[in-house]
Amino acid sequence: MKSVVFVLALLLSVVFEEVPPQTSKITWVHNNAQSADRQLPETVGAGCAFLDYDNDGWMDIYFVNSGPSDFFTPATPLKNALYRNNGNGTFTDVTHKAGVAGGKFGMGVAAADFDADGFVDLYITNYGSNILYRNNGNGTFTDVTDKAGVASPGWSTCATWFDFDNDGRLDLFVSSFVFYDKSQNPLCTDATLKRRYYCVPRLFKPTPSRLFRNTGNGTFQDVSRDSGIAAHPGKSFGAVATDVNNDGLMDLFVANDTMPNFLFVNKGGGKFEEIGLAAGVAYGEAGRPRSGMGVDAADYDGDGWQDLFVANIDHEFFSLYHNDKELIFTDQPGEIAPATQLLSGWGLKFFDYDNDGDPDLFLVNGHPDDMIESRIPRVRHKEPLLLFENTGRGFKDVSANSGAVFGKMFSGRGMAVGDFDNDGDADVLTSNNGEPPLLLRNHGGNKNNWVGLNLVATKSNSAAVGAVITWQVGAVKRTRLRTGGGSYLSSHDPREILGVGAAAKIDSIEIRWPSGATDRITNLPLNKYIKVVEGAGQSKS
Amino acid sequence: MKLVLKIRFKFLALLAVAVVVSQSVYAQADIKHLEQVATLIRENKTTQAERELATFLRSNPNHPLALNLLGTIRAKQNRLAEAETLFVKAVDQQPRYSGARMNLAFLYLQKREPAKAVVQLKEVLTLEPTNTEVMVVLGDAHLATGALEEAERQYLDALEGRLDNAAALLGLAQISRAKGEIKETTLYLTRVGTLAADSKSPEFLYKFAAVALQAGMSDAAKAALENALKLRPNEPAYLLALGIAWLRKGDLFEAEKVFRHLIRLQPASEPAQVHLGYVLLNQKKYDEARLWLEKSARSASPMPEVFYYLGLVAQEQNDDAKAILLFEKAVQKLPNYAHARIALGSSYIKLRNYPRAKEELETAVKLDPEEPKAHYNLALLYARLKDTARAQEEMRIVEKLKAKGAGSDGVVVLPATPNPH
Repeated sequence: MKSVVFVLALLLSVVFEEVPPQTSKITWVHNNAQSADRQLPETVGAGCAFLDYDNDGWMDIYFVNSGPSDFFTPATPLKNALYRNNGNGTFTDVTHKAGVAGGKFGMGVAAADFDADGFVDLYITNYGSNILYRNNGNGTFTDVTDKAGVASPGWSTCATWFDFDNDGRLDLFVSSFVFYDKSQNPLCTDATLKRRYYCVPRLFKPTPSRLFRNTGNGTFQDVSRDSGIAAHPGKSFGAVATDVNNDGLMDLFVANDTMPNFLFVNKGGGKFEEIGLAAGVAYGEAGRPRSGMGVDAADYDGDGWQDLFVANIDHEFFSLYHNDKELIFTDQPGEIAPATQLLSGWGLKFFDYDNDGDPDLFLVNGHPDDMIESRIPRVRHKEPLLLFENTGRGFKDVSANSGAVFGKMFSGRGMAVGDFDNDGDADVLTSNNGEPPLLLRNHGGNKNNWVGLNLVATKSNSAAVGAVITWQVGAVKRTRLRTGGGSYLSSHDPREILGVGAAAKIDSIEIRWPSGATDRITNLPLNKYIKVVEGAGQSKS
Repeated sequence: MKLVLKIRFKFLALLAVAVVVSQSVYAQADIKHLEQVATLIRENKTTQAERELATFLRSNPNHPLALNLLGTIRAKQNRLAEAETLFVKAVDQQPRYSGARMNLAFLYLQKREPAKAVVQLKEVLTLEPTNTEVMVVLGDAHLATGALEEAERQYLDALEGRLDNAAALLGLAQISRAKGEIKETTLYLTRVGTLAADSKSPEFLYKFAAVALQAGMSDAAKAALENALKLRPNEPAYLLALGIAWLRKGDLFEAEKVFRHLIRLQPASEPAQVHLGYVLLNQKKYDEARLWLEKSARSASPMPEVFYYLGLVAQEQNDDAKAILLFEKAVQKLPNYAHARIALGSSYIKLRNYPRAKEELETAVKLDPEEPKAHYNLALLYARLKDTARAQEEMRIVEKLKAKGAGSDGVVVLPATPNPH
């Protein structure tokens, strides 16, 4: 009887299954450029993205790789990779044809249609200077970085597309990490190891992040200083754009490593005010800054206010900041804290993996120091993935029941969520430092009903960042704010999957666009993707 | 959290001395008989020893050796008043009986009456002026009274110019520590650690560990305690100290293992419950932490820390009203409890009762100006009140204090180390 119950439980549960390279045909492997000198940029890359670059309705994949820099000359050429989704579970490497190989020491990727021409573009962050690839709409891209003015030299990490001034155009926030070049690499070692290990970022100087305003003519204006962003040098690894005070203006939550996190509240008029300390999200207990890396935002408890999440390094615990309103947050990680005590988190996202309607949480982990096991007991260099289910009262660790992959160890970094097989449940892509990536197929998430939304803005920013989606199923009304950025160095499937649970119908969906317009849709088909055009409602399935 | 070290005094070790001193005075047959009784006591055959002594004392009611032995049994039984009467009677009968005087001195040390111990030990030293063990114990007694110079003199005399008397060196380490001489303390303790590596005395290893813990030498303490536990496995006091040593090393997992072991041995032990609760609290395993802390809170006289930790659990579980009640209970028990005041301030901030928060935090700063948590919470408070300048000033203080290594890391105050006396 017990075994029957167990099998039944397995059948009912949602499982993430590795799609091996033999199946997916994804053979690209991240090269972390690891050297005896242990240069810090080697240990933090890299990101990945789900994007539909050719508008065929299937999520393609982009990976970021290391490349030439002042401290690294690859023995053989390295490249970023664009894989076209063939729609049958396989992918084809189209990097060179598309012209998006990168060629720098890559960090992250942010995909969005910055020029609103209907084709998604790519912004690649690097150690060195960044690249903006404009999608030509014919399967190729053009490097328009110089024209656009978004090279942002230095060491950039994550990039976040969002519309801070609600002018309907996507602006760009670029996180800067520390001031670094190869001469800045001090000797970090100890008597036991007699070898270098990676220095902690505490030893390096912070740098200000940058904010670029999209002018609408293919160029960007650096408004870092005017906006107030540049007044706060940090060591930023992750950023998410969200609206923490429900004023319709997108704010920025920025995770810093070994420094206080920043919460930039959008005051309107192009100005931001940093309120991390007062909000209670800057420091850990006792006023100690933590090592913030991956971030995300979502209203996990359905109270209508955006909560925040930050992954930190081992022994610091990850933070789940509940939004107590009035720009005050309380760290309430619950079961997530003990589960992450020894872990270092990077890519992460709140998403509804089982389509029951509420946001769950997926975490990608890995310690940045490959020699950590000789230095700190029980902390591993490679670490497991974690999946937490939202129970309505908090988060429950369901990793052990969610697939064999959760029993494996990885040098996890980037993480993107997307439905690459268009079956209505969200799959996961991770990019691992110095390792092959992981493509994880969600099996069973679509046992619950769902509706997929492809939001097409006409007045609002093309990514509809800031849109508020409300869906009603019987007496239950759920709301989701469309955030920008998040995770770590990565970019997600732009579509929204709304979980309906076991309900046989969805009563209505309402989309409040950043422009202020509202579309309300009823009589929706279940278990299908639909296109919703701003101002016109449902277009077609 | 004060944990009193339970030193097992070496009453029986002094039997040999007692017998030697008494040989010329007492009948050989009696001495032989009492030596057999001493062996029974050593072998923990107390009932049989008591029976033998009762018979013997019926015919020799004032025999100092027998009185001393019965006193030893009573001391072992923790019937200290009776033991004291018996030792005193033995000394009255034979004032030159150094064994009984030593036992009396140990008894006084155990009763925390070191001045009385000093008197007895000085007498013993006049009888045995070259006995270095007595010198060390006299040093310990002086140390316990705070007479550092006298203590130092005794330890130095015991050393006789050589650095191989671990007990004397440990005494000197304690004196250096009391004087704030960090380098000297470390040097002495390092030497003691080397000498004690092969020690067969778990009591001494424990005592050394306690001092090493106080001096921040967690590794040395841990090693000594592990050795002590090899000699006396499952000794609760050693396990407790070992758990604390792991805590000091910041290894919550090992600390948790040790405290769980201790709880298995002594499920009702309040220190074990508090420490396990504390470790679980620091691992953010709040539900189980609360369970152990609540058990501890039900004891006859719970420590103020228990309420503080329970308050922290409530605070972390977002029940600040309950947390405040618990912190206030802790403060009632210990009005100078700065950490509880800080926690009160923090809860009042969360409840947006800023005037009360300010009051508690300012009190905390007065009580412990070097605690960064107090200043951090004040910074948070001022930031909420939009007083940016004062918030920044408090954060500058936090940074300065952290640079100095001030304050306790983590959520709560680290528990105190065992007291070597």
